[in-house]
Amino acid sequence: MPETRLLLKHSGDPEYRAIAGYMAEGGYVGLKKALTMERQAVIDEVKKSGLRGRGGAGFPTWMKWNSVPKEKTKPHYVLCNADEGEPGTFKDKELMENTPHLMIEGMIIGGYAIQAEVGYVYIRAEFMDCARAIKMAIDEAYENGFLGKNILGSGWDHDIYVHMGAGSYECGEENAMMRSLMGERGMPGLKFPHAPFPTIEGLWNLPTLINNVESFACVPHIVVNGGDWYAMIGASTKNSRGTKIFSVSGHVNKPGNYEIEFGMPLMELLELAGGMKGGELKACVPGGSSVPMINKEQCEKAIIGYEELVEVGTMVGSGGCIFLNEHTCIVTFIWRTTLFYARESCGKCTPCREGSGRLVAALARLRSGDDAQKTAALRDIDELVTVMRSASLCGLGQMAVSPATSALQDFRQAVGAPKGANT
Amino acid sequence: MQTATEQELVTITVNDQEVRVPKGEMIVESVKRIGLDVPIFCYHPRMKPVGMCRMCLVDVGMKQKDGSVRVMPKPQTACTLPATEGLAIYTDTEQIRKDRKGILEFLLVNHPLDCPVCDRGGECPLQNLTLIYGPSTTRFVEEKRHLLKAFPLSKYVQLDLERCIQCGRCVRFTEEISGDGQLAFLFRGALMQPQTYELTDFTSRFSGNTIEVCPVGALTSAEYRFRARPWDLETSPAICTECSNGCSTWFDHRVGEMIRINGRTNEAVNEEWTCDKGKFGHNYLNSPKRLTTPLVRDGESLREAGWAEAYERILAVFKGGGGAVAGLSGGRPSNESLFLWKRLFTERFESPNLDHRWHVHLPGAGETVAGRHGIREVNTPIAAFEGMPAIFFFGGDPAAEQPILYLRVRKAWFRNEAKVIVAAPEPTEADNFAYCVLRYRPGSEAALLGGLTRLLLEKAGGVAGADELRQAVARFTPEETEVVTGVASGALRRAAEAMAEGFATAASRTLYNLPNGADVVTALTNLAISAKSADRFNLFATEANEQGALEIGVLPGAGGLDTRGILEGCRDGGVRALWLLQCDPFERFPNRELARQALENVEFLLVQDIIETESFHHASVVLPCCAFSEDDGSYTNMERRVQRVRRVVAPKGHAKPSWKVFSELELRMTGETPPFSAKEVMGMLGSAAPQYQVSAYDHLEGEGVILPAEGGAAEPRLALPDYDAMEGSRELV
Ligand SMILES: Cc1cc2nc3c(=O)[nH]c(=O)nc-3n(C[C@H](O)[C@H](O)[C@H](O)COP(=O)(O)O)c2cc1C
Ligand code: SF4
Ligand code: SF4
Ligand code: FES
Repeated sequence: MPETRLLLKHSGDPEYRAIAGYMAEGGYVGLKKALTMERQAVIDEVKKSGLRGRGGAGFPTWMKWNSVPKEKTKPHYVLCNADEGEPGTFKDKELMENTPHLMIEGMIIGGYAIQAEVGYVYIRAEFMDCARAIKMAIDEAYENGFLGKNILGSGWDHDIYVHMGAGSYECGEENAMMRSLMGERGMPGLKFPHAPFPTIEGLWNLPTLINNVESFACVPHIVVNGGDWYAMIGASTKNSRGTKIFSVSGHVNKPGNYEIEFGMPLMELLELAGGMKGGELKACVPGGSSVPMINKEQCEKAIIGYEELVEVGTMVGSGGCIFLNEHTCIVTFIWRTTLFYARESCGKCTPCREGSGRLVAALARLRSGDDAQKTAALRDIDELVTVMRSASLCGLGQMAVSPATSALQDFRQAVGAPKGANT
Repeated sequence: MQTATEQELVTITVNDQEVRVPKGEMIVESVKRIGLDVPIFCYHPRMKPVGMCRMCLVDVGMKQKDGSVRVMPKPQTACTLPATEGLAIYTDTEQIRKDRKGILEFLLVNHPLDCPVCDRGGECPLQNLTLIYGPSTTRFVEEKRHLLKAFPLSKYVQLDLERCIQCGRCVRFTEEISGDGQLAFLFRGALMQPQTYELTDFTSRFSGNTIEVCPVGALTSAEYRFRARPWDLETSPAICTECSNGCSTWFDHRVGEMIRINGRTNEAVNEEWTCDKGKFGHNYLNSPKRLTTPLVRDGESLREAGWAEAYERILAVFKGGGGAVAGLSGGRPSNESLFLWKRLFTERFESPNLDHRWHVHLPGAGETVAGRHGIREVNTPIAAFEGMPAIFFFGGDPAAEQPILYLRVRKAWFRNEAKVIVAAPEPTEADNFAYCVLRYRPGSEAALLGGLTRLLLEKAGGVAGADELRQAVARFTPEETEVVTGVASGALRRAAEAMAEGFATAASRTLYNLPNGADVVTALTNLAISAKSADRFNLFATEANEQGALEIGVLPGAGGLDTRGILEGCRDGGVRALWLLQCDPFERFPNRELARQALENVEFLLVQDIIETESFHHASVVLPCCAFSEDDGSYTNMERRVQRVRRVVAPKGHAKPSWKVFSELELRMTGETPPFSAKEVMGMLGSAAPQYQVSAYDHLEGEGVILPAEGGAAEPRLALPDYDAMEGSRELV
């Protein structure tokens, strides 16, 4: 099965980054079409398309759009999550640098559908090139009347601003992102059921639609070709439609972004990426480092799709697919990944703030301790991960344990082996 | 505020027991209704919940249509979960027990566990909850995090970074309650720590409260640090006498010495806060300069004497002294002391020369608010400010003059979006949340009020007798007012807009320190009457019992001298003997030279005070007094609330309660049976000043009682002050 390049079709074409080249390939047709449609009709197309959030959770996009109050009494906002920070994921980066207008067009359509006056793009601090590309695209969109006052004569005004993060992974979490954007510390606030969803009370307690870069980039295609057309892509899966970009890395010959149709077996993705390098496949983390790791047998069974991957015990996540070869020390891998989460914990809640550090320390003991220490470390890990998963406030703390838990499920035997035996 | 009966109620179950609670109430509060408690660290009922510590987890289910309960896969924090119909809460499941234990274990892995030397040890929520819910041993072998143990956030507050459990209460206190926002979290993850911003100090007037809200021993009082263990302290309820707000406090003491002051809950006054003056300002109680025995002058020097000798000397001069003797008090003695002192002067010495006021310009009997306008000077209880839609701060820095009222007004803005208008010549702390700030040139107070009155008279039709006033302020158009006061006409209009529907005035009697103080106060009262807000007018006292002195009438009698007159009389020889009751003219009187001449020239000076003051050196007789903590009695705070204190520690040395001194003097003069207790004195005060017939004395504890209004509500009268700005105020800027 080859790639299905929808979003990345023109990624290699420098012309496409400028608005002229983008429009030559059918750019902003979707926006023009959307503006002639009823707002609800736009949302209905997205519903038909079956698009689900590409930022990690896979929440049906139309449901978010639809839950923004239809009766507009106060300002509404769109927030594009361009903080791509999940280790192993680098798809939004390519989308923003090479196809900036696609995302901007999607955002404007989203803004129209939910009657927002302002959109924000929250870009992680390290992505200077993305920010430049996006800023340029926004300027061009203004020049061409796709942003600003009375867009294309529709009587609807919309502005988009770029906001740079300050280097915190946690600010990719939507709730923390809103705090950060509002000038507060990048920590999540209260969430459902303790507070309404962002689409009811988000930025400045006003309705806010938050989607990932890739989710927005899908929207122009859906509007132009229709939701039904989009829903045919990936129809072999249970409930995953369209294409998904996977950032393949690790021990593969051709690491990079691959856009594939849902329903492709995981092993074919590996083939696309040139197959394993330096040894046999040992394990894979298919959706970014916070999704559970799976072993070779599971990989061989795995079909790419939201439900399909859950069946083999992992998730689509953000699509940061890391293949590991047989020479990889699994404990070192999970220790290093967990260290990332410990360092990125925002510190708001106890289980994640203290627990993640403890987990790293226990994994370190597992790496280098003697047998007794390893046994003790395994026992400690078991107990502390349950508390972290159950009691953490946001996804970071809850998911920070999954590298350890999933790997230890499969590799416990090997991990518990005496020092020197590289598992 | 809504009462419980007006609120919509919902039915929830807690551990399968049904309970009706107000909709939206946080579950952490709801479970208390059936006598349960969920453990908490970060939650504080007076702050917005944040769900940081995760200690309060409960399992949560929703009642389904078929009657079954669907339990959420993950436990939820009870401190942030609002009650909704059909919620099912489980506080004690297997998973919850495990999670609590886990959270405590996490909190303790980096905690130094130096409880044996920690100020909080013995009254520490972390200790207590660990005993109830926590693990008994540690499993982690790694080295603990090491951080600074005594980081001074300010002169008063020190932070032990190792003990901090990052609950954020201190940070939220400065953001939500005191509003100065001086603390914030620095760094991320495990390194996160509360701190002041770079190169700044924790200068908040309310910093001491953070020590109390901290659930561990991380924030400590620089003064109290390592001085005692909580279980060695005795604690007694007291009232703070540092200012007129009269906060309820806990007075912690050991072998007769004050060790520390903490806030005590009084919803009507201070909620649970104190200001730093109240918390750290009581060191004088233990000062070596405390007076402990009567002293009498022999030639050049003072020598110790017995009370009998001192009484003899006093009576020899004061008895029958008439107009040649005078008394000056501060605003600190209790109601009981002031009442007997006044009686001593008016009835026994037959002297009308008595005063408690120290402002530059004292209004004559006809010039007070009551005299001129027929309304009371104080009308609004502190708590009532919370519900005021518009509040007018006039003339000073409210945070400095009325700290607890300031917190309440800030809360009115923070919670209820009250519009606060701040008019002051200098920046004030209230500017931060003010709806509009009127920064006028010093000296142009009356003109500013004239400008506002003009705008309000335009809006509110039909104020009786307003025609003359209308004429008097006609020239203060917003534009003219801008020229005179420097306040932009737009700001003036905006303020008037907010005040048009009525507003509460909050000003202090320190306005009488202005050269044209009486005019300014009249103009301020006119303004309130113009907006039909005379019932919310307040000209507050600033000293602990200044309001009491006013109610009791420690004021010049017919033909008597006021403070300035008394001091001039001392200087010129008309007054031969002066009694200073807990006041020092050198400190209090604006004209120091006059104070010096008065005290040097007066033939006989009686100083009755707690501590050695400058006046002390001129004294003929010195009497030691009891501090508030050493005497029974009551105080009238600025909202006219009478609050009772009891003797907590013994008087220093041979000091006696002032009321007792006065009654003993009376006994010597009349032979009548004197009152034997403060309570008895209160009874007498009740018959002399009817508003003090406040229900039984025994009920004055708790929240205290607001004095009833005297007489019927008279129609407020307007008066015509001089609205001109003071000479030269225009050139000042
Ligand atoms: C710790 C954490 C980090 C996250 N980081 C990102 C991110 O970098 N980019 C992103 O799009 N979503 C991220 N998410 C997911 C967002 O919270 C949110 O679900 C997403 O932006 C919604 O967009 P979607 O519906 O289009 O996927 C993160 C979530 C968590 C818990
Ligand atoms: S789970 Fe971690 S990142 Fe999320 S709020 Fe808690 S401390 Fe912050
Ligand atoms: S210093 Fe105390 S109040 Fe402040 S965050 Fe730490 S534990 Fe909480
Ligand atoms: S008390 Fe509820 S999370 Fe801290």
